[in-house]
Amino acid sequence: MKDRIEILASGFGGQGVVRLGQIVGVAAVNQGFRVTMLKSHGTEQRGGYVRTQLVLSKEEIDSPLVEAPDYFCSFSTAAYKQFGHMMKDGVMLYDPATVEIDASKPFRQIAVAAKDTAVEKLGRAIYTNTIMLGALTGATDGLLDKENMLTTMLQIIPKFKEENKKAFELGYSMSTT
Amino acid sequence: MKRYLETGNFAITEGAILAGCRLFAGYPITPATEIAEAMSINLPRVGGYYVQAEDECAAMHMAVGAASGGLKTMTATSGPGFILYADPYGWAIGCEIPIVVLNSQRVGPVSGITGAPGQGEFYNSRYPTQGGNYETIVLAPNSAQEAMELTIEAFYLSERFRTPVTVLADQLITDGLEDISVPETDEEKEAMGLRFAEREFHKGPEFYPPTDEIDVPPVVLGKNTGAMCSDWTPTEEGYDIETVEAHHKHSYRMIYKIRNNKDIITRYETLFVDDDPDIIAVSYGTPSRSVKTAVKKAREKGLKIGMIRPISLWPFPDELFSQKTKYLVVELDYDGQMVREVKRAAPGGSEIHFFGKCGELPTVVEMHETFDKLLNNEPLRPEGWEKEAW
Repeated sequence: MKDRIEILASGFGGQGVVRLGQIVGVAAVNQGFRVTMLKSHGTEQRGGYVRTQLVLSKEEIDSPLVEAPDYFCSFSTAAYKQFGHMMKDGVMLYDPATVEIDASKPFRQIAVAAKDTAVEKLGRAIYTNTIMLGALTGATDGLLDKENMLTTMLQIIPKFKEENKKAFELGYSMSTT
Repeated sequence: MKRYLETGNFAITEGAILAGCRLFAGYPITPATEIAEAMSINLPRVGGYYVQAEDECAAMHMAVGAASGGLKTMTATSGPGFILYADPYGWAIGCEIPIVVLNSQRVGPVSGITGAPGQGEFYNSRYPTQGGNYETIVLAPNSAQEAMELTIEAFYLSERFRTPVTVLADQLITDGLEDISVPETDEEKEAMGLRFAEREFHKGPEFYPPTDEIDVPPVVLGKNTGAMCSDWTPTEEGYDIETVEAHHKHSYRMIYKIRNNKDIITRYETLFVDDDPDIIAVSYGTPSRSVKTAVKKAREKGLKIGMIRPISLWPFPDELFSQKTKYLVVELDYDGQMVREVKRAAPGGSEIHFFGKCGELPTVVEMHETFDKLLNNEPLRPEGWEKEAW
């Protein structure tokens, strides 16, 4: 394992980017990781973005900045363009409903149809970030423990537990199959 | 030990309550509002009080007043509120009232950018009120965990020195989330090196000893001390008759109780400074985090770069800057503040350079580019920003 894992999530306000980061962060603490999480809220209505930067390590973390993401959950084309250039050999998870990608990029890009699946299978777009959370968990290939993530998610999200569980599983299968 | 993924705001609240804080008076302001929020929930649970004031000036006056009444108290704000603390801050210094003040620095001047970090109150924290004739104690954490620990230390120092202590944080500490460990047992507190001081009250009859002594309990109103709490300089008997002689003695105490006991206050972190480094990076607060990563990586590449992080900012730790070398001072402001102190403290013949950025942390990449420029004797400042103030 690398001595430091960097995870970035970014999109518009209201897409659950910060909540997603919080769940990943708490789950990682439960797994024994040291964790830092920075969240920034731009003035979204005037064209800004929301961003969560997570760093996970077994050692004490100095810089909390994500400068070369190992995993990037992108929820908007603006976010993809703003931070995609930092990607070297990480994994990009993007929602094709809201993100237009550049297929020529050298890193691995996984389409996670989070918003459409949330609307079609669960009836509400509010489950978009839970689907992405499942996809991210799957993409880490065991680094983030699936059962722990599910338990943490259900502790943090107070309502609609069955729907969120289903959304998580749908997302998990999108990045593991 | 309890482990959380929580904000620095939460960590500061935990630290304050562990230290015995039992009254918080404040006025909400980003990025310190969550402290008021958490205090309003948690203080009543331990028998304490939370007061939402009408503004910052009133808030700190209330906290200082409650401290005069015998409680350990605290208030928290950001830069635009910190300047409104000026009047009660001076009152607390002059009357020697222990209190902890938290300032989470954001981008200024005025309201600036609310949700982004700055370091514009380096000097403001040294001179939080008018009039001079005093020294201040300021502690600067660089993580949520350290913010909790330094809040506890701030209560300890404020009791021992009978003075307000400022914890100078920034938006990334208070708003950012990190894993934090909160001690539960005495053994855990001791293992973390935490220091605690109980509130005692001064038995009088004199108002204060005109010496540099510390560990003199503060005057607590209503405890038969017979002393008054006034904004005029008190005599040894506690009368505010405004004499130059009393003011001379009082000022000596304000200044030298801190200067002569600096060793109790001073805290710092150094890295790779013992092998005559070509560059020493200097930074406090959150920028020191990315600077530290950059310095460690530079060492892996064989570059002789060291680092100094002052944790206690005031009194400024001059003694850390004894080497004649190139210093690179990294701050979250564009005007350069701490760099002026480094310039003053470093020996003649040293080169003092400045890297300023505000609203976000310097990146590791930026630091490496800057190290390379310095090692190649290239100028650092962007075009149009070439005039140095330090």
